[in-house]
Amino acid sequence: MNMDDYMQIANSVPLWLAAAVPVFILILQSVLFVRKSIVAGKKMGITDEQMKKAAKSSAVASIGPSLAILAGMISLIVAMGGPISWMRLAFIGSVAYELMAASFGANAMGAVLGKEGMNAMAFANGVWAMTLGCVGWILFTAFATPKLDKFRNVLAGGKKALIPIVASAASLGAFGYLNADRVIKFKDGAFLFDNGTIASFTGFFIMAALVIYARKTNAQWVKEWGLTIAMFGGMIIAALI
Amino acid sequence: MSSVPVNNSSTSSVTASGDNAGSSAYEKEYIPYIIKWGRFTNLVGFIASLLPVLVLFFVFGLLPPVSAILAGALSQASVSGVFWFVEPISYFPILGIPGTYMAFLSGNIANLRVPAAAVAQEAAGVEFGSEKGAVISTIGVGVSIIVNTLMLTVGVILGASILSKMPDSVKIALNYILPALFGGLFAQFAVPRPKIACCAISIACIMTFMLKKGVFSFIPGPSPAYLAIATSVFATIFIAKIMYKSETKE
Repeated sequence: MNMDDYMQIANSVPLWLAAAVPVFILILQSVLFVRKSIVAGKKMGITDEQMKKAAKSSAVASIGPSLAILAGMISLIVAMGGPISWMRLAFIGSVAYELMAASFGANAMGAVLGKEGMNAMAFANGVWAMTLGCVGWILFTAFATPKLDKFRNVLAGGKKALIPIVASAASLGAFGYLNADRVIKFKDGAFLFDNGTIASFTGFFIMAALVIYARKTNAQWVKEWGLTIAMFGGMIIAALI
Repeated sequence: MSSVPVNNSSTSSVTASGDNAGSSAYEKEYIPYIIKWGRFTNLVGFIASLLPVLVLFFVFGLLPPVSAILAGALSQASVSGVFWFVEPISYFPILGIPGTYMAFLSGNIANLRVPAAAVAQEAAGVEFGSEKGAVISTIGVGVSIIVNTLMLTVGVILGASILSKMPDSVKIALNYILPALFGGLFAQFAVPRPKIACCAISIACIMTFMLKKGVFSFIPGPSPAYLAIATSVFATIFIAKIMYKSETKE
């Protein structure tokens, strides 16, 4: 069996239908949650204006990372076909996770993803690995999320005033790590400084300047557009250097 | 706010605009709904994610040997297994209850869902991590899921052949969007709380340095990046609490 055979299966109508159901459930959850949030938010005293700003800025900020996902999607479509790539990237995983899982699955059948030995069975085993490899995230969050809330309250020592500080500290820790992971790189034991490092620093400095400016002038547009400006600004400067 | 409905909540006697009413709407109504439907949709979503492998078996007769299925899944689990627990716990303070259900059903946590939650709360001007913050971040994460799914749908319809016609310069530039986003997000939280930010970045850099220099290589299994994430998050929370206590005492 050659590679084209399994691609016919990978891009077949039954597989498109099978992929559409989980994507539909994901969208359904978002619609249910957002609708409930609008109703509850009004009762809690959140204004329509605030909700619109939240939705608009999140929509704009999502475009950049989604473009990056699309670029990564190319390699996944080539190896695993359209429907699986579409469903897996909308659902649970990320490009890095899905490529790794698909490779592990193909390897277990003695094939290399998208290369020699790749056949329909290796493809099927790749889909199995993608599906089962993420089972823990979804089951853990399905059952443990309410307990995580109690855990957060324990972290805050039961003080409501501490919760925003815990949340900010957690964000600083998480984004600190994500930056460090991109900035601290080694090649042959030596420190590697590349354009990704530049992007991280310029993104930081653009946003820091904007936030300081906004605090002095109370400029509202920074709150909505600042991150998108920093994200694309950092990207463009890193690409031009 | 002229007509306050008095149908179900028997205990609330104050007007709907008060803080108590807002808090009870959150705790008594919103969160129970979210937990009920969040658990349900995540479980149904997981079952639905099995449909492709079921179709491959029942329609195309493709069922790999159980040993191969287990080998593939266990290889992936050995890499992801610890993250199944570390990521939900580490990102929970940012995402809140509804955001956690949504983020782990949809994936792309650090690069999309967490930024969406952060930017939505900033734009709405609500206190980060508060009850209002959780409601607003739900809207932010929900919108990001819809935008991302729409863009993926357009992308997959265009197909790999058209997507790969993207100019090389654009493809290269897109590699830099995430580092720039992470730098910007760090700045968003660092400017209001510079002292905590210095501690956070120091801890994260030390942990990452040690991780990449192989200090933790005595731990069996694949690269223990989870150690760096969990330490960065929880050590920063710990230090922030100590700072808060010493500041409020004086």
